Amino acid sequence: MRKSTAAMIVLAGGLVLLLLEVVHGVWRNGADAPARGERAELVRALGLSDLALFTEARYTRHPTQADLFTPFQDAPLSLEHFPTGSLIAPPRDFGPSGRFATEQEK
Amino acid sequence: MRHWLARQRYLVDFTLAALLRRKGRNLMLLFIYTLVIFILASVTFFGSALRHEARTVLKGAPEVTVQNLVMGRHAMAPPEWVEKLKKVRGARRVEGRLWGYFYDKANGANYTVMVPSQYDRRNALQDGETIIGAGIARVRDVRRIGHLFLLSPKGKLMKLKVKRILPETSELVSADLVLMSRGDFLRFFDLPQNGGYTDIAMQVRNRNEVTKIVEKISKMLPTARVITRDDVLRTYENVFSWREGVVLAMLSAALVAFAIFAFDKASGLSAEERREIGILKAVGWETSDILAMKLWEGGLVSLFAFIFGVAAAYAHVFLFDAGVLAPVLKGWSVLYPQFSLTPQVDRLQLATLAFVTVIPFTAATLVPIWKAAITDPDVVMR
Amino acid sequence: MIELKDVSKIYNEGRPNEVRAVTDVTLTIPARRVTVFKGPSGSGKTTLLTLVGCLARPTEGRILLDGELISSLPERFMTEVRRRTFGFVFQRFNLIRGLSVLENVMIPAYPLGPDYTELKSRAMDLLARLKLDHKARMKTEYLSGGESQRVAIARALINDPEWIIADEPTANLDSKLALQFLDEVRQLKEAGKSVIITSHDDRIVNADVVDMVVEMEDGRIIGIEERATS
Repeated sequence: MRKSTAAMIVLAGGLVLLLLEVVHGVWRNGADAPARGERAELVRALGLSDLALFTEARYTRHPTQADLFTPFQDAPLSLEHFPTGSLIAPPRDFGPSGRFATEQEK
Repeated sequence: MRHWLARQRYLVDFTLAALLRRKGRNLMLLFIYTLVIFILASVTFFGSALRHEARTVLKGAPEVTVQNLVMGRHAMAPPEWVEKLKKVRGARRVEGRLWGYFYDKANGANYTVMVPSQYDRRNALQDGETIIGAGIARVRDVRRIGHLFLLSPKGKLMKLKVKRILPETSELVSADLVLMSRGDFLRFFDLPQNGGYTDIAMQVRNRNEVTKIVEKISKMLPTARVITRDDVLRTYENVFSWREGVVLAMLSAALVAFAIFAFDKASGLSAEERREIGILKAVGWETSDILAMKLWEGGLVSLFAFIFGVAAAYAHVFLFDAGVLAPVLKGWSVLYPQFSLTPQVDRLQLATLAFVTVIPFTAATLVPIWKAAITDPDVVMR
Repeated sequence: MIELKDVSKIYNEGRPNEVRAVTDVTLTIPARRVTVFKGPSGSGKTTLLTLVGCLARPTEGRILLDGELISSLPERFMTEVRRRTFGFVFQRFNLIRGLSVLENVMIPAYPLGPDYTELKSRAMDLLARLKLDHKARMKTEYLSGGESQRVAIARALINDPEWIIADEPTANLDSKLALQFLDEVRQLKEAGKSVIITSHDDRIVNADVVDMVVEMEDGRIIGIEERATS
């Protein structure tokens, strides 16, 4: 077999694999919809505000409810020390309250 | 056209034969290249899927949440605030909420303890009863015991009958929840009856009015901090973002590895390679043939690495639940939700990934031979 | 027929290591004959060969192939001419290592994009004629000197060129293989090909298959001997 033929077959195989994965993705999106709906309903019923992903510390558990100060509630020099704290940051813009107004807003 | 296609195939034949001469080395390089793409694509896929999940599922988060800040620190919101907030025009349902964190010394896990809303009939609880998340059920072996024992911060033991365990499919939002009645909550945390609330949740009649309402609240309650649903959703837009902490570190490391790799390739030709190009030119290959051949080399390797790296990343994240990334996400948490993410692919990010790897690599393959390719073939005769 | 008119080649012109390899050469090389460039090393015969075979351009003078000027063609056209007209057998064979015998023979045809089956059978035919078809898949580093040269000859013939050019073909061969080479030259001549060889090997110079001997010294032609052969 020519080497170019072998290469084409291998790459074609890879593309088929990707295609299968695309199909899988579409299928999963459909199949997962009910469970996701259930989660959304639970969020609504309980008034949840965050995913229960980062349970290492209080402020990593509810990043949307925290602000830049929260990590320091433990101690003034308590720099960011939880690993997952680096995966998500508090919202950059806290809206009209929660921080001092900038010069532009005054 | 037929000749052009045939010519390209021959160039591919040659370039593959040339690569196979140093099989071990080139296979290793291909593996590394594919691995780099695998890691970067995994992170991309995971981030997209997580962001999509947050976006769709947190749509039901409270529209407006009001916190009390004392000395810039979070404090209990006074009960009077509820009445005040009810008077804000546009406010629909105002409810004080009680929730907090509990650190379980027994296993080092953090739980989120909550009192369900009075409007939530499904999750209504009597004293002595609890509904818990599946993660806690796992960590505390509740299915076997049927009860949850908690040692309050003040040292009192509380025994709660587990009325229900929240479904495993909802673990991503509820794995660490402990729901209890209002009475139990106050007793557990030793709080006074009318001591206030953790925060106050508010529904709004007209979504377009949210900003106005937030302004009104700020004026009315100067020490309050207001969080809107948009803030919530926006926070999760940045999760696993390329610009944040660990992900940025991984990305940088990967790119550095890649740069070293490309630099090695680009660091000039050996005498043997130069001689070979001379031979090719002497037997009738033009400069364009040699360049095309090298382009194919860079292109084929990149294509292979990209296709298989991305395919493997997809399988890794969506079929094997991102096993490699899990430790990064877990961090130091003891309680970690079991969840499968729904496949989501950000095409722009994939395109960027392709751009950032394929082009530098191909350039690295092509650049060193440029000079040799344009040399006169009589060098071969000397 | 190849004509050279007042051809000179200077390497590294203007620099301290400037060298006049060939000076004022005027020569007509007949087609369908075997011509030998003879002379000691440094006489310029190899340089003359590269000029004739379009591997390099002359610094001065003109080279014509069948009446057409080829010495001042742009690279693309020169390569095209070289590809279709000349087949080279280098002194050190210059096969590409790591590739098989068959692949080495087919390589000069790659840029022309011929049909694969046809090209492969053409290559196998050439190897069969040179008694190497059984080693078609062998990697070239495992060949003996004589075998390597035959592969080089097969490679030179793949595009069916009119002119075969060989540089010191017997330098690395023993007597038996040298005779074998002369045999192959004879066959090429009988097939209507034109052959140019550079050599300082008397076995070649004095072979009866040779039609013309051009003697060179210090970059100039010092003698041309035309032989009457059948």
